[in-house]
Amino acid sequence: MSGNGSTEITYKVRHRTEYRYSGNVAVCHNQIRMQPVTGGNVTCHQTELTVAPEPASRDEHFDYFGNRVITFSIEALHKSLVVEAESLVQIAPPRIAPQKADSKQSPPPDVSPNWESLLIRSPLEASHPLIDEHRFASPRIVPADHFAEYARGAFTVQRGVVDAALDLTRRIHADFKYDTTATTVQTTTEKAFEIRAGVCQDFAHVQIACLRSIGLPARYVSGYLRTIPPPGKERLVGADESHAWVEVYAGDEIGWVGIDPTNACLVGLDHIPVCIGRDYDDVSPMRGVVLGGGTNTLKVSVDVEPV
Amino acid sequence: MNTLLQSASVWNDETLDANDYHERLSADGQVRPHWLKVTKEIDALGCQALKERSNAIEQFVRENGVTFHATDDAGESNRPWQLSVVPFIIGSAEWNSLSSGLAARTMLLETVISDLLGPQRLIREGIVPGELLWANPFFYRSYHELEKSQQKLHVVGTDLARGADGVWRVTGDRTRAPSGLGYLLENRVVTSRVMPSLIRHSNTLRLVSFFESLKEHLYSLATKRRDNPRVVLLTPPSGSYRAFEDTYLARYLGLTLIQGSDLAVRGGELHLKTLGGLQPIQVLWRHVSDRRCDPLELDPTSTEGVTGLLRCVRRKSVAVVNTVGSVLGQTPALLPYLDTAHQFFFGGPLGLTSARTYWCGDPGHFKYVVDNIDSLNFRNAFGVSGGAAIVASEFSAKEREAFIAALHAKPEAYVAQERLTYSKTPVWTGNQIEPQKATLRSFQLLTANGVKVLPGGLARVGHDQLELSRSPVSGQMTQDCWVTSDLPVDEHRTLLPDATTVVKLRRGGDELPSRVAEHLYWLGRYAERAEGIARVLRTTLARIAGEENWDRLPEVRRLIHTLAALGQIEPSFAVEPFVANLPHVEQNLPASVLDREQPRGLVRTLESVMHNTIAVRDRLSIEAYRIVQRATQELTAPTNLPSIDGVRSISIGEAIERVGRVIIDLLALAGLTSESVVRTHVWQFLELGRRIERAENTCELLVATVCPPTDDGKPVCEAVLEVCDSFMTYRSRYKNLTKLAPVIDLLVTDETNPRSLRFQLDRIAKLMNKLPSVEGPVGLDAIQRIVMDLQYRVKTADPIQLCETGDDGALVHLETLLKQIADDLPRLAEGVNARYLIHTEARQFLTGTGR
Repeated sequence: MSGNGSTEITYKVRHRTEYRYSGNVAVCHNQIRMQPVTGGNVTCHQTELTVAPEPASRDEHFDYFGNRVITFSIEALHKSLVVEAESLVQIAPPRIAPQKADSKQSPPPDVSPNWESLLIRSPLEASHPLIDEHRFASPRIVPADHFAEYARGAFTVQRGVVDAALDLTRRIHADFKYDTTATTVQTTTEKAFEIRAGVCQDFAHVQIACLRSIGLPARYVSGYLRTIPPPGKERLVGADESHAWVEVYAGDEIGWVGIDPTNACLVGLDHIPVCIGRDYDDVSPMRGVVLGGGTNTLKVSVDVEPV
Repeated sequence: MNTLLQSASVWNDETLDANDYHERLSADGQVRPHWLKVTKEIDALGCQALKERSNAIEQFVRENGVTFHATDDAGESNRPWQLSVVPFIIGSAEWNSLSSGLAARTMLLETVISDLLGPQRLIREGIVPGELLWANPFFYRSYHELEKSQQKLHVVGTDLARGADGVWRVTGDRTRAPSGLGYLLENRVVTSRVMPSLIRHSNTLRLVSFFESLKEHLYSLATKRRDNPRVVLLTPPSGSYRAFEDTYLARYLGLTLIQGSDLAVRGGELHLKTLGGLQPIQVLWRHVSDRRCDPLELDPTSTEGVTGLLRCVRRKSVAVVNTVGSVLGQTPALLPYLDTAHQFFFGGPLGLTSARTYWCGDPGHFKYVVDNIDSLNFRNAFGVSGGAAIVASEFSAKEREAFIAALHAKPEAYVAQERLTYSKTPVWTGNQIEPQKATLRSFQLLTANGVKVLPGGLARVGHDQLELSRSPVSGQMTQDCWVTSDLPVDEHRTLLPDATTVVKLRRGGDELPSRVAEHLYWLGRYAERAEGIARVLRTTLARIAGEENWDRLPEVRRLIHTLAALGQIEPSFAVEPFVANLPHVEQNLPASVLDREQPRGLVRTLESVMHNTIAVRDRLSIEAYRIVQRATQELTAPTNLPSIDGVRSISIGEAIERVGRVIIDLLALAGLTSESVVRTHVWQFLELGRRIERAENTCELLVATVCPPTDDGKPVCEAVLEVCDSFMTYRSRYKNLTKLAPVIDLLVTDETNPRSLRFQLDRIAKLMNKLPSVEGPVGLDAIQRIVMDLQYRVKTADPIQLCETGDDGALVHLETLLKQIADDLPRLAEGVNARYLIHTEARQFLTGTGR
């Protein structure tokens, strides 16, 4: 189990997506964001994306946020598409790591700067790309007063930013119901906030909305979470899922700190980040435009295995 | 004395408000030097001549179909473009300084956009607030570093106004795809035609070299096939505000005009879908929004661009003009920061400055804005819209309050701009010339060798300055802008390549996009259908008008059946008891000529002809458009009779007259296409549509008229010969002897009669052989088999046998033959459709998640 002072863990992650179509697909164009890159507490030792049928052409580039993007097209008639990403990643303990859940010790004093010191005071101060831009609205997250009001419960005067953000996380965890039927991938942040329910994507969107509404930079992280099988049970292959959480900027000294509102904890060695963006739209693992094909069925399996 | 009187009657601009700057007159009332020549010539012309020339402009604009797209309370429509007879004039000395200011500003915008889409130094160094970019809903992050180290801007527009102090200022920049270039060109063409000597005597700088450079520049951007690259102009789907000018520009510059549905990305390269297969494109001049360029990486709902375009750009397999993301350069909130940006990049002040603009997201600016709210114009901070600026002082108290609340709630969403008092320039108002406010859009081309400024611009005039703050293509009065020189201007340059250029001789033409083939095919069909309906109508109406006892004429009932079958009138007219309907026919049949309600009737069919003509306007001569437009107008013009129950009435004589004119117009269209369209695929699809339609209509007509049993076949035969324009031929062959067999021979089996069924089928067979065939197994393909089969049946038919009647007196053999053909023709049409015309399949999106 992760915790203070743990050493690195290496994982083998497999993410397989399979589409089957009722009719022939004439052409498909796809863009995939499923492969990690080295940076922060992540070292990507190896990563490979296989596609069947074999694409007619395939390109790789790194997007605005530094994510690895594969673009490919299949231009011969086909009735199924299998995309499989397999990566070997090493996760080092984050700078600010979570306490053990069963820890009897009191948490260490919060060393992070007080949150008000991180606000900008004039427009020209918002000058740092990839940090300050996460203070503003993005396609799926529009800051608003009601988010700010919700956040202020945790962000009291002069409170340390990590402490306050973790408090906000716990509030969301307590107030919101984890419910896979309550929302879909398209559900707006407004709606999720209103119904106080959703999944990791919604929780992350809501927390980012709250943080940005009080002026703090916050971003969206997609990735995977290692699941620990119940005592005495075998680990189930392919039963893992994609996950999403939040990072808040805690000043130049500490940098980005990962917080998981779905599990009300700081991000630790069980979290394997893959892509970073302003919200889900920036990191969606797969975007495809398909001509023809009739109806489709989808099978996704994710497998996170420590090695 | 005489001249003085005349001049007094033309000019009504001599009493001026001292606060205004007047383009023609100096503060002490003297005519400015660059206006002297034009003033003198206009004086010499006088009111009457100006009136005539103004009318000539209106007529020219109407005939050439120069329209703009209007959206207002009445919905969307196309209205005639507005061009005033008096030009807007700028003297060469002033122009030199203005154009060097424009050139410097264009360089600045290029530098700014390269920075924002690249290293973002302007933001890192605190010159531009990051929020302008990062909170900008139009900044898709995929734009960033899409085209590293490539030139970003190519065609740039600038909106200018001259304030009361006589200084030109910029009210807005256009870096995405500035509109107006096509209209401006048309303004010049029209003005040169109406005022030929005036424009020459004034030594007006010509525009052609700008367009030459533009064309040359576009071609130079190709990275592959540099000797003969494919350069296309991407316009939004039909009916957009771009429709007129893109067609015009494409035609003028010789570019292929295409829409998103014409494009496909294969193997990481952009292609044009043509009848002959996919053809690679090297340069794309796009007039669709940045975010609509690629549904894969940008707006997924867009059908205006093409899936995979950004990928092609990243691979540098296609050059896009202006770069995808250039829209950021026209962000209104950038205006207040351009001076410091110029200082930062070029180390000196920006020569041509903007009207003072404030971004309300900056607390320092905001305070000023709040204190001066009634003297400022407000706009969206991030996006350029075609609408007018927001003017708080013109609001009701309630509206004003609501606006101020919105401003305080989201100040960063607004910019405020000082309200300049625009200069005034002479405008012809129908009776005299009076001063009106003016604004100018200029155009710049950025090439590897620097900036070329178009010597002129699109000038707009009016009393209402707020109207002038709208998009320049939203319908205000415009003027041709003349930059006049003291020196004579080179007269003889055109866009034709000069004599030293070696041109490879060619036959055929460029590839035909499948979408265009589709419109041509339907143009052929609808034009033929309209003629077919009009012919039956004319013959029927003439019978009714000319005979007291027309209801006893055997042919009338059958012609009315035909009209019902063609969709010109309600089918209920043709059902029994026929006699009961007769009283209505006399009134309703003429009225049907004006009826828009019948979806397959003459009026709606002509509208379809018009729709398809507009869609292929860049492929046909301008006369084709004029003919179609005239046909529609003449048919549906107001009548002298009052409406009855909301249905327009028309006398039977007038109806016959109008239908006759439509027939002449449609024959002119057929003649025009036959004489001026080269025998490429353009011709083949037009002709194929026409022949398939005529074959169908002929079957329809003969089944309804000749086949049923009759006691007196002569008048029926004569009516049918008349409808089929074959009466003269018949007379010359058989004199007055009207017999069935020769009539059937002439209309069915005679291969020499262009109106016979046989002739249509022979033509179709010939045309099909010329279309690109599908590679496949040896032997006939499905379409060819249908055609051969049809041809065979008519070729082997014996006219004598076709005259044999069955027990009930009907012509059974003829009826069987015609019905078989009538069944097979739609199958042929479907085959053509499926193979050549329908290229779009249903699109679906993958997200990789089941949620």
